[in-house]
Amino acid sequence: MNLAQLDRRWIFAIIALSVALPLMFPIGLTGEVSPGTRTFHTLIENLGPEDVIIVSFDCEASSWPEIGPVATVLLRHVLERGVKVVGTSFLSEGTALGYDLLATLEAEVGGEYGGDWVYLGFRPQYVATMLALGEDMQSEYPRDYLGQSTGDLPLLQSVKSYRQIRLVISIADDTMPQYWIEYAGARYGVAIAAGLSAVMVTTFTPYLDSGQLKSILAGLKGAAEYEIMRGERGAGLRGMDAQSSAHLAIIILVLVGNIAYFMKRKDT
Amino acid sequence: MTPTGIWLSAIGTLAIFSFLYKDNPLYRATEQILVGLSVGYLIVMTFQSTLIPRVVEPVQNLEAWGFVSAIWVLLMWTRLSAKYNYISRWPLAIIVGAGAGLSIPAMLKARIITQLGATIRPDITIDVIIGAVGVISTLSYFYFTRPQTGPFRVASKLGTLYLMVFFGATFGYTIMSRLSLLIGRTEFLLGSWLGIL
Repeated sequence: MNLAQLDRRWIFAIIALSVALPLMFPIGLTGEVSPGTRTFHTLIENLGPEDVIIVSFDCEASSWPEIGPVATVLLRHVLERGVKVVGTSFLSEGTALGYDLLATLEAEVGGEYGGDWVYLGFRPQYVATMLALGEDMQSEYPRDYLGQSTGDLPLLQSVKSYRQIRLVISIADDTMPQYWIEYAGARYGVAIAAGLSAVMVTTFTPYLDSGQLKSILAGLKGAAEYEIMRGERGAGLRGMDAQSSAHLAIIILVLVGNIAYFMKRKDT
Repeated sequence: MTPTGIWLSAIGTLAIFSFLYKDNPLYRATEQILVGLSVGYLIVMTFQSTLIPRVVEPVQNLEAWGFVSAIWVLLMWTRLSAKYNYISRWPLAIIVGAGAGLSIPAMLKARIITQLGATIRPDITIDVIIGAVGVISTLSYFYFTRPQTGPFRVASKLGTLYLMVFFGATFGYTIMSRLSLLIGRTEFLLGSWLGIL
């Protein structure tokens, strides 16, 4: 059999099986918690009911299967600490997803809209908005996501700008945390952290080293590690068996492909 | 999610996955629906969240800034006229000028000055040395105004190695990321749709 001429659909089938079978017959792989995840956990542990944070859903619907578990486990921890949340979004598709998630999790902990959390909604011009949030939150968002006047929301009576914000968490699948760093972090001195898709880790690690990002939690693996720390079994841990077996399948396929390539080159 | 939503979502997922077998009309139709929905949703969200509260309502309330905003918005539409399209450059000039003025200092501080400070630190550790050597050698690879010979060539080659490590790490994370998406959709199909999990 000539491997070089193998129909690539066989490879798709192998990857599909390597993902589906562990989901149907779980082994229960967990792994170790990395120092980065511990840092994020400590960051949230240091927050309390007197603190207000901004959570920005800067992601598209297409990346929600990966970023959703990160957002869920992080926000559940935040809300269980009693932290007040101001929700926002700079990508249209993330707006409704963010609102639904916050509403579901706030319902779990008994949070009240307006007092414990508000959702400001979507803004297309993120640079102007991030800067305006440092001056006057209510004039930038005269109405919230639900169409209510922000002047009537109790939480926003005491939160006027970044001066009352302890932390910004950007739930992002792209480079939006970079803008948070530049326009909220560097200019107004707000602490920034990010829940990321794994593909963005190498982009943001240098900002972590320089302290411009307080912490990052990335991908399904990051969500799984955080779930271990929290002692809960969510989508992150459920996906670890499938992720490990798919990685193994890819490594084997790369090895087989290289062996086939060198054997063919030797023959010619 | 409602049963109808679950079925629509499952059919959409399978239609997109069908491309893995071969290109087909169902895949192309679903792709077009996705693009149309995304753009339509963005337009509606922008209209509701920005145009109405920032332009329409202030104009209705006879606020001066509302009229200023509305005039600039209307000037953008002159782009559609062959005779007056030069006027659309005025609001664009403000956007470009203000954007550059706001972003240049912020980017300089966050991307260059602070990052440079974090690269060259007084506490000499192995991490700092590896990082500083990486920055200098990678920059030397992109320095094209003199021939890459002698020690400069060695630094440039070392920079290539650093770049390869970066690309390898990024590619590894990309695979991890894409697999997470596949896992999420497979879990949805097997669990929420078929009820197997």
